[in-house]
Amino acid sequence: MTLIRFRASPEQDVDLSRTYDAVVVGSGAAGGMAAHVLTSQGMKVLMLEAGKKIPIEQELRSMQWPYDHPRRGDAPPGDHAIRFNEYNIRKPPYAKGSAFKHVFSYVGGWGGSDYVKDILVDEKDHPYTGTKYAWVRARLLGGKTNIWGRLALRLSDYDFKGKTHDGYGEDWPISYADLEPYYDKVDLYLGISGHKENLPHLPDSLFQRPNKLTAPEVKLRKSLATMGRTLTPYRAGVTTDGVKNKYRSKCFGRGACGRRPGGCDIHAAFDSPTGLIYPAMDTGNLTLRTNSIAHEVLVDPNTGKARGVSFVDSQNHRTYEAKAKVVIVAASTLESARLLLLSRSRQHPNGIGNSSGHVGHNFCEHVMGPGVTGLVKEMVGAPPTLDDGKPGGFYVPRFRNLQDKQPGFIRGYGFEGGSGFGLFPDSAWGTPGFGGQFKKSVREHAGAFISMGAFGEVLARYENYMDLDPEVKDSWGIPVLRFHYEFSDNEKKMCEDMANAGKEMLEAAGIEVVGVDKNILTEGWSIHELGTARMGNDPKTSVLNQFQQSHDVKNLFVVDGSSHVSASCQNPTWTIMALAWRSCEHLADEFKRGNL
Amino acid sequence: MKISRRDMIQATAAAAAAAALPLNAVPNPQSPVPKPKFFTPAEFALVDEMSDMIIPTDQQSAGARAAGVATFIDARLAESFEKDQPERWRAGIKAVEALSREMHGKTFMASTPEQRLVLLTRIAAAESDPKSDADKFFKEIKSGTIRAYYTSKIGIHDDQQYKGNVIQPGEYAGFDAT
Repeated sequence: MTLIRFRASPEQDVDLSRTYDAVVVGSGAAGGMAAHVLTSQGMKVLMLEAGKKIPIEQELRSMQWPYDHPRRGDAPPGDHAIRFNEYNIRKPPYAKGSAFKHVFSYVGGWGGSDYVKDILVDEKDHPYTGTKYAWVRARLLGGKTNIWGRLALRLSDYDFKGKTHDGYGEDWPISYADLEPYYDKVDLYLGISGHKENLPHLPDSLFQRPNKLTAPEVKLRKSLATMGRTLTPYRAGVTTDGVKNKYRSKCFGRGACGRRPGGCDIHAAFDSPTGLIYPAMDTGNLTLRTNSIAHEVLVDPNTGKARGVSFVDSQNHRTYEAKAKVVIVAASTLESARLLLLSRSRQHPNGIGNSSGHVGHNFCEHVMGPGVTGLVKEMVGAPPTLDDGKPGGFYVPRFRNLQDKQPGFIRGYGFEGGSGFGLFPDSAWGTPGFGGQFKKSVREHAGAFISMGAFGEVLARYENYMDLDPEVKDSWGIPVLRFHYEFSDNEKKMCEDMANAGKEMLEAAGIEVVGVDKNILTEGWSIHELGTARMGNDPKTSVLNQFQQSHDVKNLFVVDGSSHVSASCQNPTWTIMALAWRSCEHLADEFKRGNL
Repeated sequence: MKISRRDMIQATAAAAAAAALPLNAVPNPQSPVPKPKFFTPAEFALVDEMSDMIIPTDQQSAGARAAGVATFIDARLAESFEKDQPERWRAGIKAVEALSREMHGKTFMASTPEQRLVLLTRIAAAESDPKSDADKFFKEIKSGTIRAYYTSKIGIHDDQQYKGNVIQPGEYAGFDAT
């Protein structure tokens, strides 16, 4: 239980007597984008963030050497990160009965966990129940954008029109042509680095200069090209040439992003506070209140429309109301569904915006785990080079079920990978023996490995859903989510293919395969949760229209990943922001016309 | 999200190097003995010596002793929240001492360098499938040594000659995707 503290930060002095044009719940990629678009259209916006604002640069300390940290980057004694086995053997709530002082999701177990201990939620305060699930949450200004992996990809009509392509699920109510101008806007406003490939299934962005590759990656790229596949430099939501934004620097290739779960202390990597929120505050149109846990969208009993948001102050535990003409939910896929389900009223007995019964359903994400590691013989004994001064290694876009039809599964997967010398020689763990020969072998092999792991599309299925637990509550007395979700046969078959295809690709390039991982990681591991309030044209089978506007309540919008109709296999952040930009432009137009 | 997410699973990378004998394992009797926080002085001396046999000094760089590996392990165990970990180390050291007496009739540190090497070689042989407590201790101290050595100044800069964590004001290092 969090201790009650009465010291309020200046942001807590916000005026709650006035009615704002819009209230935005959440300050991550989606909420930040909503704030940016609406304030630039002159709307007066109040943003509620459940977490705190922390001095993030001091937290991240991106260039600190391990030996300059008393525990070489590890979190203090008493902190515990949930392990893979714990997720699978035990059931949530994972922190229940734990003797540890603080319990974090698995991300807190990476090397350098001391740099995220104030970013991740303490599972003790934030339980959830039901089926096993590795839920990673960051409650602070900017949410998970403070620590995201930065792979910034577009979706294509293979994704938006997946049902047309293979008959499964639902098509999105938009096509690539509808979203392309907004992807362009996101690219230009926030900056993205990458290399043009002209692939129909992975459209190019308006790239700034790309990251470089290592020699083994160039070799694999050439070999894959002969197979009709592509290895491209990591498409990173990082500005390498700079953007017009006084809160952000361009990337100087320091490479700390690859070494830790933490983010970028010069904000070359996109994060919502410096990329979107602070510039929005500079317009004078954005008011921010942190430590504000929204638990109900309030409804006007006469009109049935949303009239604001009720929230608990995380520090003083008092309840407040924020009044607004439009309510925008952007609390993350799972928290947004939770908030809608919590908002029960006479007009909306199943939760606001949930006349379809689809809120919390059609959950989808990415399945991961299978991967391969290869030994590049000609690199053994090569002198050390600077290989990790970049936001990521490489990406191998989807190649399955585009022109071909796989017998075992539909949809596809892409690989993320890396190679070369890093801060820590990971191969030491697997090098047998001891002594001079061991030491020499570690040194000679440190830069000789290449590895990649796949991210695959989990099919959106109605029966994969989350609802409210009837009994369990969080530290603020708010009912928690209960999971009803597991991978299906399609995901399991796809994962078998990932391992085999990875092996085949390394072998074709003449790289010796020294490790094949076939294990599927726990549901949720990819941190790409999507789909719990999907868009669609039919109000009976969808929650939102193509502008992420509730079918039931016209002044209610849900602009985060919960609106996605399918997961695709591409990382979702850039799509979340392009969609939010498009929807909020529409919202501002409708607002000015008096239609909301 | 990114490749480091997979660090949580056991590292798949396995080097193809064969196990081999250490080149030299002669302790430096002049090295200063810091006051340990968790270990007894005798336990500390064993851990210090054994870590330096696992990663010894060679032509490229100094070894685990110079890198302060035992001091780092000692400090971490002293503040450990989970009590089973320090207990495991203490029990492991006892098992090694018992084995040393059984093999050579002396404690590990009272043995000759050659005898120590014979003992270490024996417990290292079971690395892929450790059975006895002494075998298991080899895995424990090896992994502690790897972690501490390759995060030390000597490990990062002298041994690995790591080139990163620098500001690249102009062109990034590496090759173009052409």
